Amino acid sequence: MAFGGLLALRGVDIAVEEHQVVGLLGPNGSGKTTLFNILSGLLRPTAGEVWFAGCRVTNLAPWRLSGLGIGRTFQIARPFAHSTVFDNVLVGITFRSRHHYRRVLDRRREAERLLAMVGLAPKASARANELSLGERKRLELAMALSTRPTVLLLDELASGLSPKGREEVIRFYGRLKERGLTIFAIEHSFRVLAHVADRLVVLDQGTIVAEGRPAQVLGSPRVMQAYLGEDE
Amino acid sequence: MSLNTLAQALVSGALLGCFYTLMALAFSMILGVTRALNLSHGDLIILGGYLGYWLWSGSGLHPLFLVPVAGAALLPLALLWHWLFHRLPEPRELSSLVLTFGLSLLLQNIMLALWRGEYRLIASESLTGSLALAGLRLNQGRLVVAAAALAVVGALYLGLTRTRWGRAIRATSLDREAAALLGINVDEATRTTFLLAFCLSGVAGVLFATLHYLYPAGGIELTLLAIVLTIWAGVGRLRSVLVAGILLGVVEALTVAWSGPRWRELVVSLMLLASLLARSGGLARGWSH
Amino acid sequence: MGRRGWIGAGLVAAALLVLPPLTGFHPYYLYLVSTALLFGTVATSWNLLAYAGQISFGHAAFFGLGGYGAALASLGGLSPWVAIALGGAVGAVGAAGISLASARLRGAYLALATLAYAEIWRGIAHNWTAVSGGGAGLIGIPPLPTLAWLPVDFTRGRAGSYYLSLAFLVVVIAVFGGILRSRVGLAFAAVREEEERASLLGVRALPWKVLAFALSGLFSGLAGGLYVHMVRVVEPDLVFNRYFSILPLVMATFGGLHTLLGPAMAALGLYLVSELLLHPYVPAFHQLPYALALIAVVLYLPGGLAGLLPGKRSGAA
Ligand SMILES: Nc1ncnc2c1ncn2[C@@H]1O[C@H](COP(=O)(O)OP(=O)(O)O)[C@@H](O)[C@H]1O
Ligand SMILES: [Mg+2]
Repeated sequence: MAFGGLLALRGVDIAVEEHQVVGLLGPNGSGKTTLFNILSGLLRPTAGEVWFAGCRVTNLAPWRLSGLGIGRTFQIARPFAHSTVFDNVLVGITFRSRHHYRRVLDRRREAERLLAMVGLAPKASARANELSLGERKRLELAMALSTRPTVLLLDELASGLSPKGREEVIRFYGRLKERGLTIFAIEHSFRVLAHVADRLVVLDQGTIVAEGRPAQVLGSPRVMQAYLGEDE
Repeated sequence: MSLNTLAQALVSGALLGCFYTLMALAFSMILGVTRALNLSHGDLIILGGYLGYWLWSGSGLHPLFLVPVAGAALLPLALLWHWLFHRLPEPRELSSLVLTFGLSLLLQNIMLALWRGEYRLIASESLTGSLALAGLRLNQGRLVVAAAALAVVGALYLGLTRTRWGRAIRATSLDREAAALLGINVDEATRTTFLLAFCLSGVAGVLFATLHYLYPAGGIELTLLAIVLTIWAGVGRLRSVLVAGILLGVVEALTVAWSGPRWRELVVSLMLLASLLARSGGLARGWSH
Repeated sequence: MGRRGWIGAGLVAAALLVLPPLTGFHPYYLYLVSTALLFGTVATSWNLLAYAGQISFGHAAFFGLGGYGAALASLGGLSPWVAIALGGAVGAVGAAGISLASARLRGAYLALATLAYAEIWRGIAHNWTAVSGGGAGLIGIPPLPTLAWLPVDFTRGRAGSYYLSLAFLVVVIAVFGGILRSRVGLAFAAVREEEERASLLGVRALPWKVLAFALSGLFSGLAGGLYVHMVRVVEPDLVFNRYFSILPLVMATFGGLHTLLGPAMAALGLYLVSELLLHPYVPAFHQLPYALALIAVVLYLPGGLAGLLPGKRSGAA
């Protein structure tokens, strides 16, 4: 993937197995979010292919990929800022192409369930731009889940949270895994990664520099080097 | 169309294009420095034209003498517009459109009140008549206007490249935040830009009034022309604006030669729509370089 | 909107309903208020489009297309009722057309494209003399027929068009209100606030944008169609006048973007103040209220503009 003269991703070949949690890490600017933008259809790669469940899905529009079962969160939350929290979650429930509810009541019930699950039920009628950082992260997760995806792309869910918030994120990962979701997660926190990931991939300057089981990867000198100067 | 008509159209179009360059520069300078699209641009030019006409019919002076007067007369408005633009919420491109669409209506009404709906022209005898050159007949008025426009554009070019305030304006236009970090007084540069741009508009107005009949609603066409030129040339590139201006003048002259003057306005709007669709947000590209 | 708002709106509606007999079916006042109601209709339709994040600077195009469509149909022998409905359809098609053509433009660039679009139609109406009558336009458009099953005073002359314009305003407000409560409104808001995010949640933006344009064009076209049957002529500079692009925008931003009744109230207020209070005394400056309203929005109600404006961020985050 190139932006003008900048090669943001090169020769990245990653397979995410069903029902697995794969962690993606790497220093800032290494191309992690760019990879997610390609996987979710927001960017068209200048070269390379994306496959999903046996089908080539390169260059499909975001709404098509969403229909196939890909959901994502954003590192910097991008809610519908002037809409209520409730409506933010309702959009995906209403317009997803699979598991469609005919009745408004059913859609609203699912929205309530989702908000309760992420702990935002008391904020349902607040506007999204009134939320705190932690609440925005919860909303991101609820929005990503609102289309009932089978694969979730989570972009730095735990970043910027307090240690307590981080523990909660770890519990969330556990619950999502129990539901059988396939998860591809960008995280910086070694603690979170060590707890939740089945496999890790490390990016640096747009290429994969390490790959394998968490214990292996987190201990490798190459990873430490990539992260040199960064905390955790 | 004979070869001679063609050549005639090319030359008179190119002359008109020099005027278009001058006219569009005010628009693109303000866009560059403030990211605001000024839809009242053409109305300001028409206002300058009316002021010139009023002075000319009162004094009988040669129109070229009235050029600086009309330029100076618009300066108070520059400060008012600057004050208003300063308060525009983000995104500036859109909110400025909303504000200036209203200001354009206001200016039209003021002109309608002051000069009623009548068509006016600075029909100075010194500008009628034509020169014959290599078999072409050159309208003397257009020659004078083109020469005056080129002189003003040249002076502006020197000012922008050789002086301290000129460099401040160009730096602010290139990247406002970086300019501020470098210690450039961007607020002052912005104010200077408004003053310069409105001065140019007044000048353009008087020149325009010697070429075309003025009427209070005539500004929109000039605004659309300025936007087309800015899309073609990008923001802040004076020489590209000159090339684009001459090109536009030629396109217009050819249209008129081929199908008569009725289609001119329609062609301008079509060119604007086509340019917007072709570059989808092309104006924005000008800000980044 | 609170209960007080609804009570106020109900009172205004009741007053508008009984106004014609109260003025003794005074033709001038009825004409004036009908025009204000038509502006209210166009302003509300503009607001409906803005709700979907699409800012138009060219509603004169839809108004004028409706006007010409209805005028041509009426002059061609169709009943004015059918002609006005056709005008609405022409407005809707014209709006859907520019929406499709400019699918890739956003924000200020879309606004400029719609501005050019209105100017293009004005130019076409000026030049396509065989159909449009050129600059002189078309005359001899019949008035609305009276309805035999209603008291004759209520459908005759200006009263008939008064009640029809009131009906248009009520219908466009009802449609907008319905949209706000439905999945259509949910999609419009999503497309307006974050088009890319909406797409990731299964909302394909283009059809919703086209729908918003078509609905907005429909009501503006209906208003244009009725207008030419009120003034009985149609000219390019009359119905494709920029006035019909600027005023709805001013009224909607001043009245409150995205609010159900604000634009209509602002339209009635601003238009009537301008025509009743200013026009008789300072005719030259009777459009001052619009300019002042706009400057007030920019200076004192920054939320008034910022609330609506989409695309506060560009590119993928
Ligand atoms: N839309 C874009 N245009 C140009 N460059 C971009 C764009 N998006 C990202 N980049 C660049 O690509 C590189 C990778 O960015 P990103 O994927 O956001 O990194 P990460 O998420 O790993 O921190 C960075 O150098 C960034 O500046
Ligand atoms: Mg990132």
